[in-house]
Amino acid sequence: MRKIYKVAQREFVETVKTRTFLLGLLFIPLIIGSIVLFGPWLAPRSDVPRAPVRVRVTSPSKALSAEIKAVFDEYNLAHPLSSLTLDVVDAGSGAVEEKAKEDLRKGRLDAYAALEGNLEGEEGTIRLFTYKAKPSQLDALGTVERLLREAVIDRRYETRGLDRKMLESISNVSIQWAELGEAQDQERTQDKGQQMARMMVPFAFMYLIFIGIVGMGQHMVSSIIEEKNSRIIEVLLSAVSPFELMTGKIAGLAAVGLTVMAFYGVAGYAAARWKGLQIDIGADLLVYGLIYYILGFILFSAILAGVGSVCNTIKETQSLMMPVMLVFIIPMIAWPRLAQEPNGELARVLSYVPPATPMVMILRLSSGTAIWTGEVVVSLLVLMAGVLATVWAAAKVFRTGILLYGKRPGPREILRWLREK
Amino acid sequence: MYAIELDNVCKSFGPVRAVDGLSVQVPQGSVYGFLGPNGAGKTTTLRMIMDIIRPDSGTIRLFGQPASSPARERVGYMPEERGLYRKMTATAVLHYFGTLKGMTAGQLRQRVPEWLERVDLAEHAGRKVEELSRGMHQKLQFVVTVLNDPDLVILDEPFSGLDPVNQDLLREIISTMRREGKTVLFSTHVMHEAERLCDFIVLIDRGQVVVNGTLDQIRAGHEANTISVELEGDTGFLRTLPMVQAVEPDGRRLDVRLRDGADPQDLLRVLVERVRVRAFEIKQPSLHEIFVQLVGGRHAEDL
Repeated sequence: MRKIYKVAQREFVETVKTRTFLLGLLFIPLIIGSIVLFGPWLAPRSDVPRAPVRVRVTSPSKALSAEIKAVFDEYNLAHPLSSLTLDVVDAGSGAVEEKAKEDLRKGRLDAYAALEGNLEGEEGTIRLFTYKAKPSQLDALGTVERLLREAVIDRRYETRGLDRKMLESISNVSIQWAELGEAQDQERTQDKGQQMARMMVPFAFMYLIFIGIVGMGQHMVSSIIEEKNSRIIEVLLSAVSPFELMTGKIAGLAAVGLTVMAFYGVAGYAAARWKGLQIDIGADLLVYGLIYYILGFILFSAILAGVGSVCNTIKETQSLMMPVMLVFIIPMIAWPRLAQEPNGELARVLSYVPPATPMVMILRLSSGTAIWTGEVVVSLLVLMAGVLATVWAAAKVFRTGILLYGKRPGPREILRWLREK
Repeated sequence: MYAIELDNVCKSFGPVRAVDGLSVQVPQGSVYGFLGPNGAGKTTTLRMIMDIIRPDSGTIRLFGQPASSPARERVGYMPEERGLYRKMTATAVLHYFGTLKGMTAGQLRQRVPEWLERVDLAEHAGRKVEELSRGMHQKLQFVVTVLNDPDLVILDEPFSGLDPVNQDLLREIISTMRREGKTVLFSTHVMHEAERLCDFIVLIDRGQVVVNGTLDQIRAGHEANTISVELEGDTGFLRTLPMVQAVEPDGRRLDVRLRDGADPQDLLRVLVERVRVRAFEIKQPSLHEIFVQLVGGRHAEDL
């Protein structure tokens, strides 16, 4: 027991001390933090004057031409920094379109719109032309389209004798959400962001478990490969048994994983509170999270210990790890459905597939839907059985594989190790 | 009492019989040499003694107890494949391995600096292993092996890859241990090292004992029958002597091989009468020659 503790302690200290670990730990918060801080700085600016965009329009009727001019003037008045230069030409005055196309090609014009047909009745088309449109004008071209639509719609209201203001006030309904607190008069208005955040809690929990299990798995493999490559293994095995070594490693890295998860969990919770989001996490969820995480971690890292012990390089391990990783990634892909139907058949089935169990169960438990306690107990039992079987097999493979250098043993040989007493 | 007892130990890897019914007893306080050609089963046997791998059949006892027992903590083991954690400091590595060998923090605080001093690494104590030279790694590896003051030290090919300074250091450590009544077991295929250091020698080949005993016992079975002489004058008559089987020139000297049962003293008497004798030496058979004889030419180049 003391030796297991010592191995675990070294594993913990040496992993946490490495630069890659610290960088990895800070990477996600740093990225999120910088997006929040510097995001506005990167967003398009609206306070800088831009070259006016030159637009020519051919309109089929005088009334529509007047309306278009009015709409564009209103827009230019409201946006003096990004103005549109409008030039309305009556249709029918010769080869307007050919002239406009030529001006476009020569660069004397940025956009040309040909309004045709009886647009004021419900027919006709607006055809828009550009030539080598500049990316910097994309938003302005969108505006041109919007303003032309607006002008046409305005004309349609007018010709039908409808009051636009009235129609708008009819379709405008005010909506307000509120979340009740425990106390009688406690209620807080909520915006959409808050509702989203609440929906994300189960996912965040599952993601934490995922980082804690899969992220730490990488450290497990590299630690074993390092000991194997630098030929420390045999010196170690003269002092500790292979099982003690493997157990110590798992325990040490599980502790690292818990530290990482606690760090992210607390940081995420603090950030949510700071932004004014109210997230309630029950103590029972934390306890379940701990149990499922530890069992899931033992399962995954025991598999990796077995994989690592038969390989000589990180590269070799990757091809063997792929199938294992896939099972762990299923809940990550299927989470929207799992969150939507926490008691659906997919969620229920995956709850009893040991590598997926921890993440799926945490997702279900944190979804706010009641889960029958019996299911929790059964999933834990299945998971534990899976853990025991995996550790038993991994210990056998580890014991023999760790001393083998050179060619990786084939499946048949590994099966023979499993049968050995 | 024996430090190590192997009784009819067998171990196979798939179809290969690495160790085949090996029985050896290593008395406490002796220096025991494990000799044999490459692939003879030396490393496998040492690993089984350290309980790193388990025998298929047979028993192994350390100080009268099973190999998997705490008796293992009284053993220091230096494998042929040697390594240390590269990212840890010299002191941290020693503390870690010392703790795994059951040393207390107090013992470590005292013995780690002592040993670093003894192998001239005191000033590098706080440096990372990867910053040390190859020779320093080797020294550090010895210290890892003997730090817990083991009663038995097992060394697998300890001299391979060592620079001359460290070879001397290792020899000194081995003789110190012998003086203190400790047991040393080492495997080697360098015969003259074994001749120089060992009280007992066991030669194994294809997992079986070929010969086992003290150096004198092993030599006793292989009488000297070659005499190296340096003579002045005509030596042509040598071949005609009845006791002489063959004569071969060896530089300025001649190697005279006698017939079985012939006494070298008789040859000396004859020589003194006929020519001037400048040198006369009865050649002791070297371990190398004995082993080549025993194992046969098959592995001669490996020995």
